[in-house]
Amino acid sequence: MMRADPRRGRKRQRRSRWLDPRGRHLGTWAFVANRLTGLGLVAYLYLHLVILSTLLRGPEAWDGLVELFRHPLVLAFDLLLVAGLAFHGFNGLRLALVGSGLLVDRHKAMLAAAAILVGLVTLVAAVRIFA
Amino acid sequence: MATRIKEDFTDATRWRRRPRPTFAWLAQVVSGVLLLVLLTMHMVAQHFMVSGGLRTYDQVIDWIRNPVVFVVEALLLVCVTWHGIAGVHAIMLDLGLRGRAERIAARVLLDLAVVTILYGLWLLWMLAFGG
Repeated sequence: MMRADPRRGRKRQRRSRWLDPRGRHLGTWAFVANRLTGLGLVAYLYLHLVILSTLLRGPEAWDGLVELFRHPLVLAFDLLLVAGLAFHGFNGLRLALVGSGLLVDRHKAMLAAAAILVGLVTLVAAVRIFA
Repeated sequence: MATRIKEDFTDATRWRRRPRPTFAWLAQVVSGVLLLVLLTMHMVAQHFMVSGGLRTYDQVIDWIRNPVVFVVEALLLVCVTWHGIAGVHAIMLDLGLRGRAERIAARVLLDLAVVTILYGLWLLWMLAFGG
């Protein structure tokens, strides 16, 4: 009878722990959300580079694209992007402090502060984008 | 009788007990803090200072030709690419990628980061001084 490779078991266990939602604390959810927003922002980095490449095709191509960007759906995406950036930035700062062993016992208060700052930044951006 | 000493969880003690931070982790924190500053400058200058939130072709080219803006945008590109690609690598490690697969993934991600930075710098240069 073949024995199961213990390394494979550990790998599967590690993977399932990361994706398992049971018994999670708020801080862990914030950590997972930071990773997910990070992946979204990496995808946006490449989309942004593709969009900026349109500038190489001259004024007509770029100014036509700018008109498309004024569509309400694209503006809503812009707002989502600002909210994602703000969350990743402020929560990332919190994670860096906690990861350095600083203010560990204040991590929930810092999460609340990060949430308030994200709300404020998103509100200001919404006014600037839609006003 | 042995006396059990209550553990001291002051910040200083906690810092000493932590394993030494790795170069990758420190680089992620430093690039993240730099990004908070550079992205704020980018967002305010590129989108919040302009009527309608988007620059026309001529406005973009004039803006990029400013040497300070050119350097800030180039620094932003390097920081955001490093931070994003290193973040993707950290997520892969979290999900249990190890051994040969991890080395191949790290190599591919490093090459992708180099190509992204070189392409972005070329794009910036062409827009500012190419024509």
